Amino acid sequence: MATPILQVKDLQTQFTTHDGVVRAVDGVSFDLYPGESLGIVGESGSGKSVTALSLLRLVPNPGRIVGGQVLFRNDDLLQLSDEEMREIRGRDIAMIFQDPQSSLNPVLRTGFQIAEAMLAHQRSTRSQALRRAVELLRRVRIPAAESRAKDYPHQLSGGMRQRAMIAMGLANAPAIVVADEPTTALDVTVQAQILELLADLNHELGAAVVMITHNMGVVAGLCTRVLVMYAGQIVEQGPVEQIFEDPQHPYTWSLLKSIPRVDAVRHERLRSIEGIAPDLLRPPRGCRFHPRCPFRVEKCFSDDPHLIEVKPDQRAACWVTMDRARAEMGADDLLDIRPGSASGVQAGRLVE
Amino acid sequence: MFTRGTLIYIVQRLVLITLAVLGVSSLVFLGIHRLPGDALFSEHLRGTQYELTLHHYGLDRPLWQQYLTFLGNMFHGDLGESLVNRGVPITPIVLREMSVSAEVGLVALIFTIGLGMSFGVIAALRQNTWLDYLLSTTSVIGYSMPNFVIATFLILVFGVWLENITHGNFYFEIGWPGRYGSIGAIWLPAFALGFPSASIVARMTRASMLEVLQQDFIRTARAKGLAPATITIRHALRNALIPVITVLGPLAMAIITGGVVVENIFGIPGLGKEFATSILNRDYNVVIGVFTGYAALVGLTNLGVDLLYVVIDPRIRY
Amino acid sequence: MAATPATVVAAEPIAPAQASLWSDAWRKLRRNRLALGGAVYLTLVVVVALTALVWTPYPMAEVGVGIPYSAPSLQHWLGLDTIGRDVLSRLMVGAQVSLLVGVGTQLVVLAIGVPIGLAAGYFRGVFDQVTTFVINLFYGVPNLLVALILVFLLGPSLTNIIVAIAATGWMDMARLVRGQTLSLRERDFIEASRAAGARPAKILFGHVLPNALGPIIVQATFGVPAAILFEAFMSFLGLGVPPPMPSWGSMAADGITAIRIAANLVIAPAVALSLTLMAFNFVGDGLRDALDPRQRR
Ligand SMILES: Nc1ncnc2c1ncn2[C@@H]1O[C@H](COP(=O)(O)OP(=O)(O)O)[C@@H](O)[C@H]1O
Ligand code: SF4
Ligand SMILES: [Mg+2]
Repeated sequence: MATPILQVKDLQTQFTTHDGVVRAVDGVSFDLYPGESLGIVGESGSGKSVTALSLLRLVPNPGRIVGGQVLFRNDDLLQLSDEEMREIRGRDIAMIFQDPQSSLNPVLRTGFQIAEAMLAHQRSTRSQALRRAVELLRRVRIPAAESRAKDYPHQLSGGMRQRAMIAMGLANAPAIVVADEPTTALDVTVQAQILELLADLNHELGAAVVMITHNMGVVAGLCTRVLVMYAGQIVEQGPVEQIFEDPQHPYTWSLLKSIPRVDAVRHERLRSIEGIAPDLLRPPRGCRFHPRCPFRVEKCFSDDPHLIEVKPDQRAACWVTMDRARAEMGADDLLDIRPGSASGVQAGRLVE
Repeated sequence: MFTRGTLIYIVQRLVLITLAVLGVSSLVFLGIHRLPGDALFSEHLRGTQYELTLHHYGLDRPLWQQYLTFLGNMFHGDLGESLVNRGVPITPIVLREMSVSAEVGLVALIFTIGLGMSFGVIAALRQNTWLDYLLSTTSVIGYSMPNFVIATFLILVFGVWLENITHGNFYFEIGWPGRYGSIGAIWLPAFALGFPSASIVARMTRASMLEVLQQDFIRTARAKGLAPATITIRHALRNALIPVITVLGPLAMAIITGGVVVENIFGIPGLGKEFATSILNRDYNVVIGVFTGYAALVGLTNLGVDLLYVVIDPRIRY
Repeated sequence: MAATPATVVAAEPIAPAQASLWSDAWRKLRRNRLALGGAVYLTLVVVVALTALVWTPYPMAEVGVGIPYSAPSLQHWLGLDTIGRDVLSRLMVGAQVSLLVGVGTQLVVLAIGVPIGLAAGYFRGVFDQVTTFVINLFYGVPNLLVALILVFLLGPSLTNIIVAIAATGWMDMARLVRGQTLSLRERDFIEASRAAGARPAKILFGHVLPNALGPIIVQATFGVPAAILFEAFMSFLGLGVPPPMPSWGSMAADGITAIRIAANLVIAPAVALSLTLMAFNFVGDGLRDALDPRQRR
């Protein structure tokens, strides 16, 4: 492949709270190539949004990016001045948020909010920008764009609002669009349309899309590569088809097992994995997935596995990997997926 | 912004205001109906002269007749004539005084909103710094100070101390020399009236700014690459003002009622000054006129505030 | 809670959070320096007002205890007023007036506003509609103007001032209590005791009122300085307590005529008044932070 347009290296983002330090993003690294569509999946709370916000340095208080690099066109975004960073936002990297209802300003006209994105970065008059905004609304297939541009957000439907958000993201023809769960807050019927729109724009405009979702179905429909996040870290990454066919990390494996069928963009929570998501204030020692992993071995309790190449282009952070779990633990025939059920390593054995 | 519905709404409100004004003046008229005659009696009038005067004001007729005449005159905008200055019609006086009071009140409201908003925004942007604490403390002090106390201190500083320090070079005339000629004429009384309310606006603006700055659309605005000043003013402040407007009605009322005292201190020929003077002179017809003027002022102010909602918040339509 | 049998709940009527709410509030209040300072100052004012009942440096109404307009001196700490009365003595008696009006008004407001609010919120129906109509009728009409009309009609006296201010103040209290009652009556522990056959009076005063007490106390605390301010305002206009009884408002009004000669005449009552209002507001703020759950973060 070509050279990456964005390289994230060992990104670390923390929240300092009353109870302690939450390592929301803990050593995340990945490359993004021009025009590709990269999925980031993981349960709620695994650090997807914080990763996305870190790219644009929009982490809310009390969050701080404490380490790593975000290289964009040879610049480390984390080293830029506030003013330089402001130039990048919206112009080179745009972001689309989860809830279009709360993400649009209720007291400003929709068209103006789109025009504003252009006026922040381009030399053009207000009326030119407003005209461009109407074109963009048309482009994201909003009917009667002319009059919709004059509407306030509360006058639009949920789907239309998200289209307007997308139009806003595209206003400056950015190289990268980061979409953080863009369909989660929408009606099921509208979700498919929005995803289709995003796919088209990805193809037509050639912008690289980072698609954040907790829905494996969305990844299957839209992305070419996928990162799987767990407890602030990437646990597996690779081409979508390969990972769907042959996941190597037990967490990815159980995610895929938990979707009924990989056919639709159904709003389906990743819920059927046993156990609860880890407490990032006090993450488990060793592999962070071990309290919930059916295949864990003794090493998993003490040593942190690193991402390693497990197949061509596919990397996973696991001491066992699914190949071994299948061969030695009969993973495919496993009915009982409680922690340690396949390997027989119960937690109690290692305590003292 | 203003649709046909808004126009209909305004007309409806104006009708209601008219009714309220009639109600208030009737209440005062009936409440004090015995006093005007008594007041005249004590004015060194004797025998037939007293009878003639009573007759002149129609006070010798039964109450219900007097009231009907009063109502009839009210419909023509006629508030009758002064008991003290015979032959002087009250309506033009009250109208002129209303406009003076409204003018001072409007400048006071500008102080209220301008100062309150700026302090509130600064405190919010500098949350938990010494500046924030300073402004927050000042604001409690501000709204605890009655406007007549502030007015007094302003006079003390500008009218007495500054004059003494500058050996009379800075001379400040308490009074109403015309219009904006002297700072005493409108700026100081408006400040005295507006400052306590400004403190409340500052507190509310700070709180609602802090809340708005947490909202998702602020993050959107930052993600667009907008400049911080644009985000603060265009995106945050406008939304932060919506809850602030809800107190603007009561605050405007505080400014109007504050005028009763502050106008007297600064010698401003408004409704408030007339109120005190007419009570002192026992000119009860003027008292009724003043209350009528206040009822109208209050009604119109409330209408103005309600219309302000429409300007600030597009989600509100009447 | 919802599944608990009615009888069991009726035996333990107060919502479980209550006890800890009060001790929580107390702990919070004690940590609030401004509120504490306000409370200390108000205690001082009360002591001064009580002292003035039995002793003042000079008789407060006695004219010519010294030369009029005298500046503060060792004999007369705050100087003498326009007709030669001791300002400190009058200030002390003025504290009585302010406290009497402030606290008296709020007692009347509580006595009227709370039962009406409780009844309107609990029984709803016609009574509620009439109450709400009256309250809405006066909403947007400045309380001070209404109180001024009333004092004007009734004639100036301490009692009439209290009546006039309370006549406008009860509405805000009733509105608050009504709202609280409306939301509380739907809560499980109250529905349960209703189901268990408790009489309305017992439910209202035994269960609803204790749970609405926090916001009521806060509102009453803020009502005190408002009433004191109203009185000062009226006295300033000459509609307040009749002379020779001093009031901080009328003292300031008298003093302002002499502002170029003896500024202390207006400064003394103005400072006393402002500090008192401020202290009540600090205490009110503290109580609100501590007691009003809506303000809780
Ligand atoms: N404002 C915040 N304050 C404290 N912790 C936060 C905050 N935002 C996020 N976190 C922490 O970061 C973790 C990751 O959050 P997030 O990235 O939003 O997850 P998701 O994968 O659902 O998008 C959460 O588990 C939470 O503990
Ligand atoms: S097998 Fe071990 S290393 Fe692999 S996921 Fe399970 S616990 Fe983690
Ligand atoms: Mg998220």
